Amino acid sequence: MDGDIYRLPRERLDLLLERLAREYRVVGPVRDGSSWMWTDVRPGTPLALDYPTTMLPPRQFFAPMRETLFRFRRGADGVFAFEQPERTRPIALVGVHGCDLTSLRVLHAFHESSCRDRVVPSRLDRSLVVGLACWSPCLPESFCRDMGSLENESPASLYCYDLGAVLLVKVQSARGGEVLRDVTTEVATPDELVALRQRLRVRSEAFKPQLPFPPDRLPTALKAAEADILWEATADRCLSCGRCNLVCPTCTCFDVADEAVLDGASGARVRAWTGCQVPGFSRVAGGHDFRPTRAQQLRYRIFRKGRYMPERHGVLGCTGCGRCATHCPTHISIRDIFLQVGRAP
Amino acid sequence: MPQVSMIPEPCRILAAEPQNARDVHFTVEAPAAFAPEPGQFVMVSLPGIGEAPFSLAALPGEGAAPGTFEMLIRRIGRLTNLITEQAAGDVLYVRGPYGRRVAWDQFEESSLLLMAGGLGLAPLRSFVRRALLRRERFGRIDLLVGARSPDELLFRDDLRAWAARHDDVHVHLTVDAAREGWEGRIGVITSLLDGLTVEAAGTVAFLCGPPVMYRHCLRRLLAMGLYEHHLWLTLERRMKCGLGLCGNCQVDGHYLCAEGPLVSWREVRHLREVV
Repeated sequence: MDGDIYRLPRERLDLLLERLAREYRVVGPVRDGSSWMWTDVRPGTPLALDYPTTMLPPRQFFAPMRETLFRFRRGADGVFAFEQPERTRPIALVGVHGCDLTSLRVLHAFHESSCRDRVVPSRLDRSLVVGLACWSPCLPESFCRDMGSLENESPASLYCYDLGAVLLVKVQSARGGEVLRDVTTEVATPDELVALRQRLRVRSEAFKPQLPFPPDRLPTALKAAEADILWEATADRCLSCGRCNLVCPTCTCFDVADEAVLDGASGARVRAWTGCQVPGFSRVAGGHDFRPTRAQQLRYRIFRKGRYMPERHGVLGCTGCGRCATHCPTHISIRDIFLQVGRAP
Repeated sequence: MPQVSMIPEPCRILAAEPQNARDVHFTVEAPAAFAPEPGQFVMVSLPGIGEAPFSLAALPGEGAAPGTFEMLIRRIGRLTNLITEQAAGDVLYVRGPYGRRVAWDQFEESSLLLMAGGLGLAPLRSFVRRALLRRERFGRIDLLVGARSPDELLFRDDLRAWAARHDDVHVHLTVDAAREGWEGRIGVITSLLDGLTVEAAGTVAFLCGPPVMYRHCLRRLLAMGLYEHHLWLTLERRMKCGLGLCGNCQVDGHYLCAEGPLVSWREVRHLREVV
């Protein structure tokens, strides 16, 4: 079944959601006023399969914005006892674009390659991802084609091409095949396959290349871009709001804090997203800050995406999704920075 | 499925001795299977208050009794204020050890030069103890200690004892400022290097102190001819997880909680924002 392409008439999309809901917490893109968000969906929920991109990335389902590490309670002997939170229900993400598929691979590589925590990788491993092909660029700031995300279909177990009245669904794993079998066994017709090839041709023209160099040149290009002056000009307009960190699909940094009830006898230790652009992130006890200026902080963020991640984890930390630039209040664009450093001799 | 959790172990305080108005020397029951190397650290918490990284002032069986370890904690914020109010019999919540395990056999045959500024003496104390375990395997050992004032000199009993055994450890003290009555040296820690003759090629230096200390000490030690791979720094960052995950201790591509905090200058000299 692997690699085979089936057809799912649009009105039967709910059957897929229903099937997934038997085993998974099902999440998909839904319109919310003027933006789009990942949210729980069930049969009947209007899935926005034409969504541009969500503001918050899908990592929120694997490393939540705020997550209980463990709960504590003071026992009769005065000593605290600890309790791990129950395992969360596996996630089925439906309608994931190439950029966010790439981000799931990045998250997996990051957690697998060096750290000793299996929580996030096991959540990714237990999830089922339904990818969705993009037909036209979604944000002015996105440059997914340049970063190799546009055509990435991994780690989706099922990958959908939206042809309007019908979705063509490619099976990419045994698990995906098991699920899809219960929803449709109709293979795509020859006409539909011709239409798909046609759409893919049109698509490759719709996404114009924006970087004049391949992304694997970024680590070397950044190596030559250490000088402060390169970064000061752009960082001058950074407001240190940290939004770029929050919307980034590959940011992983977190803070840890205790939340106790008023009598102090019970509570939870939680981790919550933070980021390298937030003031105080690199401050140590005694008040010294090793990365105090916005120029240093900006350089660090870009270096982490374009150089440290590939060097250490073997994957680029930027998917080209365009979120950071889109949501930056002063329009600091990672693509423009890549352009600048890539152009330098 | 192997899964490292951040759940700490309750560890009873065996002794809590104030060293001065704000530093308390703790002896604590070690968590299970606790076999740290000098330079590693533990995460210590009080549930409901918070958690922070602390260095080890003595390792189990090396200065501390087997099954125990020691730390020095300064009252500097909400968590440390509350920790220092705990007494013998109370419980701290500990996980670790974390950090890189630096093999000590590479230092054998060398002379050791330890430079401790302020609280930096706490971790370096476990380095001295480690060296004294097999004293005959090392050359000359010099311990240079700087403090803001005589009142802030830490571990005075140890300093006195080591100074008395002059053949074992040469102890050199200096303070930034002192009232009348202080007969020792006044000046920054690098001034202790002035009168010191070391055999540069065969000396390994260990540095720990406030951030401002490192640049000055490195400059002097390099000028004295010590090799870059013989200069070991314990680099402080505010680790939140200890697992190479939370990013708070990251310097360039390196997580100091995993690849540090003890690093050689040779390994990190090319990194940004190290010292």
